[in-house]
Amino acid sequence: MTITETTHSNIHLVALKGALDASTAATLAKNSVLSGNLPTVIDLSGVDFLDSSGLGALVGIARKKRAANSDTLLACLNTNVRKVFEITHAYRLFDIYDDPYTAAEELSKKISAL
Amino acid sequence: MSHTITLTVPGDISYTRVASSSASQAAELFLLSIDKLEKKTEFCHAFELAISEAFANAVNNANDLTEPQPITIQFIRKGSTLTATVSDRNKPFSIETPMPDISTYPENGFGLMLIRNVMDCVSYSRKDNTNTIRMSKTAS
Repeated sequence: MTITETTHSNIHLVALKGALDASTAATLAKNSVLSGNLPTVIDLSGVDFLDSSGLGALVGIARKKRAANSDTLLACLNTNVRKVFEITHAYRLFDIYDDPYTAAEELSKKISAL
Repeated sequence: MSHTITLTVPGDISYTRVASSSASQAAELFLLSIDKLEKKTEFCHAFELAISEAFANAVNNANDLTEPQPITIQFIRKGSTLTATVSDRNKPFSIETPMPDISTYPENGFGLMLIRNVMDCVSYSRKDNTNTIRMSKTAS
């Protein structure tokens, strides 16, 4: 699992690459942006495999940020990743976008409107 | 005619991807003999996901007092059905656990839900201190 951090529209954009499973889920918690309270877009376009442990890590990140009145948006779920979201109804927990830049712009607008 | 592939993987969570990638490759190999299946990617992903979940469950179910036990994974091809088994010598467990509560959305407990959803048949047995979860899917 590799994690790349950039910013777009003043929003943290974290791109994940690789498999997000029981062997890599803990890596996410160690990332300062993901474990912090700043609003974040997670780009999953490079995630070729997700299981329930990986999903649990994403839910944990989103829950922690939400508790701090912050948001986590997801972008670019491939077919297999989307299937896991559908089976587990995890799509209810996240706003999901087709591309990370639109997600970051929407999140930026939301923050500006507050 | 039945063909079987057997893998023994260290019971360590860092080997999860070895187990799940092997499952995907076994399913891909199995599908070479199936002409008419349209959803080949979906079939391979089903085994990749089911093995990832079953392997992680076996590792997490290990007895804390002993060294991690190796986990045996088998892929059995019979006709148009591929069966995967994951066996460990850890504590007994049940696959009859209730489904997680979607309204409170816990961060874990979705593994069996996923396995049941992507496989046609799932069963569990314990014999000679060995847990075996058996998962089958027919290519049709």
